[in-house]
Amino acid sequence: MYKKIISLIAVSALFFGATVMAHTIAKKGMKADLVLMPKFLGILVFDQANNGAQEAHRELGNPGKLEFLGPTPENSVAGQIEILTTATTQGQDGIMISNNAGDQIAPAAKAARAKGMTVVTWDSPIPSGDGEQLFIAQVDFNETGMVMADMALSILGPGGGEFAVLSATPDAANQNAWNASMKEHLKDPKYSKIKLVDLVYGDDQSEKSYNQALALVDKYPNLKLIMAPTTVGIAAAAKAMQDEGLCDQVKVSGLGLPAEMVSYTLNGCAPEFALWSFVDLGYLSYYATYMIATGQIEGVAGETFKAGRMGYYTIEKDPTRDKGLRVKMGPFSVYTKDNVEAASK
Amino acid sequence: MLKYLSQMRPEKQRELVLLLLICLVVVFFAMMIPHYLNARLFNRVSTSVAIMAVLAIGQTLVVLTRNIDLSVGSIVGFTAYFVGQQLSHNNDIDPLVAVLMAIGVGALMGGFNGVLVAYCRVPAIIVTLGTMALFRTLLVEYSDAQTVLTVNLPQWLLDLPRLNVMSHGRLHLRFVVVIMLSVVILFQLFLRFSSFGRKLYAIGSNPEAANNAGFPTQRIVLISFLLCGALAGLTGFLFLARFGNITVVAGIGFELKSVAAVVVGGVNIFGGSGSIFGATLGAVLIDLLENSLIRWLQISEFWRDALLGLLILASVATDSIFMKRIRLYWAKRHAASTNSNS
Amino acid sequence: MSLKLKKLMGWEGFLLVVLLLIISVNSFHSPAFLTVENQVNLFVLSVEKIIIALIMTFIILNAEIDLSVASMMGLAACALGWMVESGTSTSTAIGLCLIIGFLGGAFNAYWITVVKLPSLVVTLAMLIGFRGLARVLIEDRSIRVFPPWFENLGQQPFWGPLPLSVYIFLVLLVISVLILQYTGFGRYVYVIGINQEVAAYSGVRVARVKTILFMMSGLISALAGILFAARLGSVRGDMGLGFELDIITMVLLGGVSIFGGSGSIYGVILSILIVLYLRNGMSLMNVTGHIQTGVIGVILILSAMIPNIKTWLEGIFEKKYAS
Repeated sequence: MYKKIISLIAVSALFFGATVMAHTIAKKGMKADLVLMPKFLGILVFDQANNGAQEAHRELGNPGKLEFLGPTPENSVAGQIEILTTATTQGQDGIMISNNAGDQIAPAAKAARAKGMTVVTWDSPIPSGDGEQLFIAQVDFNETGMVMADMALSILGPGGGEFAVLSATPDAANQNAWNASMKEHLKDPKYSKIKLVDLVYGDDQSEKSYNQALALVDKYPNLKLIMAPTTVGIAAAAKAMQDEGLCDQVKVSGLGLPAEMVSYTLNGCAPEFALWSFVDLGYLSYYATYMIATGQIEGVAGETFKAGRMGYYTIEKDPTRDKGLRVKMGPFSVYTKDNVEAASK
Repeated sequence: MLKYLSQMRPEKQRELVLLLLICLVVVFFAMMIPHYLNARLFNRVSTSVAIMAVLAIGQTLVVLTRNIDLSVGSIVGFTAYFVGQQLSHNNDIDPLVAVLMAIGVGALMGGFNGVLVAYCRVPAIIVTLGTMALFRTLLVEYSDAQTVLTVNLPQWLLDLPRLNVMSHGRLHLRFVVVIMLSVVILFQLFLRFSSFGRKLYAIGSNPEAANNAGFPTQRIVLISFLLCGALAGLTGFLFLARFGNITVVAGIGFELKSVAAVVVGGVNIFGGSGSIFGATLGAVLIDLLENSLIRWLQISEFWRDALLGLLILASVATDSIFMKRIRLYWAKRHAASTNSNS
Repeated sequence: MSLKLKKLMGWEGFLLVVLLLIISVNSFHSPAFLTVENQVNLFVLSVEKIIIALIMTFIILNAEIDLSVASMMGLAACALGWMVESGTSTSTAIGLCLIIGFLGGAFNAYWITVVKLPSLVVTLAMLIGFRGLARVLIEDRSIRVFPPWFENLGQQPFWGPLPLSVYIFLVLLVISVLILQYTGFGRYVYVIGINQEVAAYSGVRVARVKTILFMMSGLISALAGILFAARLGSVRGDMGLGFELDIITMVLLGGVSIFGGSGSIYGVILSILIVLYLRNGMSLMNVTGHIQTGVIGVILILSAMIPNIKTWLEGIFEKKYAS
């Protein structure tokens, strides 16, 4: 194996110069006990990610175990730290974390690293990058902001208008990064006609998001659009607009699951929204973690590896954080009435 | 004014004080928020309070017997999911059957609590702390991480939240609000005029005395939990109708919200006094505060909860101080009249 | 001697048996269980909760309840982060945060003892209120500005294998046992819990005892919040969210009556150990999330039923014996 890599390096060095490293193709059948940890249990998108990881697990013929362990929603932060610490004690070889604890998980992650465990994050990173080897980014976080701004522009049309953001909790690192990047993008003269009037939180609870959406309409009589970069928020906002007969006046957009949004897209309440494939995200995370845990790649910037059916990915410095490495999955799937039905099946 | 007030039953007085508080809150926010006082305000608050008020009524029944039910949030979540699941699989289920199913499942869960509290003599807070976790676990295991999707639900259910019984201009009286009002009136009358209602109060104010008087204490406590569960089941149904997409987090935190509505509504947490109407007004007051605070532009997102906590405390305190005054006045008057008689 | 034996036969004895059972099952199933690392970790992971469980024992024995503890934890932690960020020295900030905890407790005590509102109502409102204040300070940010010594305090062993927080817990534990078992104040806590009016008539200064308890509850919750901040190295608005129910569960499982006046700190110690070992054992066997909380829920209910089943069985036995 190593010989192969070395010869590959030699060959590629000849062709592309010394900066390009090997394209590593995963060696199957090596043993690594891995854990996939969602933000909490019982949520569809995380189960989809688990399906993707299980698919990769079978494909790679890993004789070790892949466990899907998560906390309860009421106890997500402390629960994630507890599971990570216990996994370290158990001597697991690697863990994939959809981090809900922000930087608070960093000490536990550092302890896990000190014991030689592979720590990879997916969906939501450790903001400071401490304790994490690699972040599998579903999309570029700057791009998320741009996609949000673009969808707003496309829904509001050339005439523009007012819109507001309905976010999840004030503590969600990925949401905050997206909102910040969207605000950055809005400074572009291209978006001069659309105006962000407010940013509110629905705490990822249906009832709170629903009430917040209606309150936005009451607060801003000229509001034309609610942008909710959360699957719970967007569905609740769309239902609220539909129930109050406001769909003609206020549109809803953001990040949503096609299965949850299909009826609102078809009736015009939420004409356009975006998301990525969580199955693929789980699949890619598994490949990266497996290869780092079994020593096939080191997890340093510049390395390129092949993630089965998804093709080649390169580890790079994360441009959206001060520190930390990432693998960018992408792209966004933007859903409209033309493709949402097929995607919801 | 005080003289007039003092001639009423204490519960009536308390309800009046609450109504006064609600009016004060409306007047205050009407001065603070432009375009606040309109038909929309009524539509918003009435539909959103419909869910919490029904739950608060169930909680009241249990609190009146000097118990508490912390599992209601999990019951709401489970019934919403369970009924949603059944309706997704079979769109032809009759609406009435669906509602009865929700009430039945809820009653079953409430009955489980009730048996443990009344017959196994385990304190209610322990039983319901336990079943809060247990029912939620059942929901997570049963759901297998699948979501109940709006698109699979029958059309009548999706139309239910916007179904108006009566409309006057832009003022709508929604069907769900009518459900809530009927529950309020039904239980208000039931507690006031049935022997069960009187026994409920008697047990709450003095369990031993009620026992000595030969009341079937255990059975009554069981029934109060059963009814609380049934109402939580009905809440679950309303939750399903309002939000459509149901996941395992449905109803989390409702237990403390319902307790808050009950105590703001002047129901004594140690049992024996309080009314259904009061608890409903408590739910209305909290909902009104929440809905108004999120509309107040001057208040940032982050100040809202801090204010809500203080306002809840303030309203309970005002209520309590008011009631003390009235009682003092009443006692004085009573003393004076007995003196003059003798 | 016979008194001790009696005690061992009672509730504490039962809890001890359960605890030993859990420990043996755990060590049988998982080789990692008995390692020093795991034993240290399982305490460190919940040390803030068990510290608060001690003062909660006093409050519940007093027939009151404090639902605002977890929100106070969050408030103290956020205030600490906010102050350090705006240039206060960390040690000064710690002192100020402890004062905030103390004042928060005094605020609760005022409404409970002077205005005479039920503690459940007051602390339920402050569960929302304190959390809201934490949000006001931190908003949507996460603050990590602490000096290395502060983080090391929470994350590195202080003496032997244990971090400072565990020693703080042990010291508070000893103090709690001493106060409850051997002082007049401890007796007052019980007496008030059994019957407040009778206690007042016999000259116990009820309001003073309650005020002290709630002030201490605020202070210790703030301390737990600071330790939590040190362990996690950064603060956010949602710190400790929902911990109050876990804490109350531990105290009730320890056999402390929710109606006050009965129960012992020894029972609470055993129940803390039971909950920690049970959670740890299940985690090591890869049982997480809802099943874990569900199992603890069932154990809570069952444990409260056992004494009743015992009296029921005794009743049957006596009937047979009599006839």
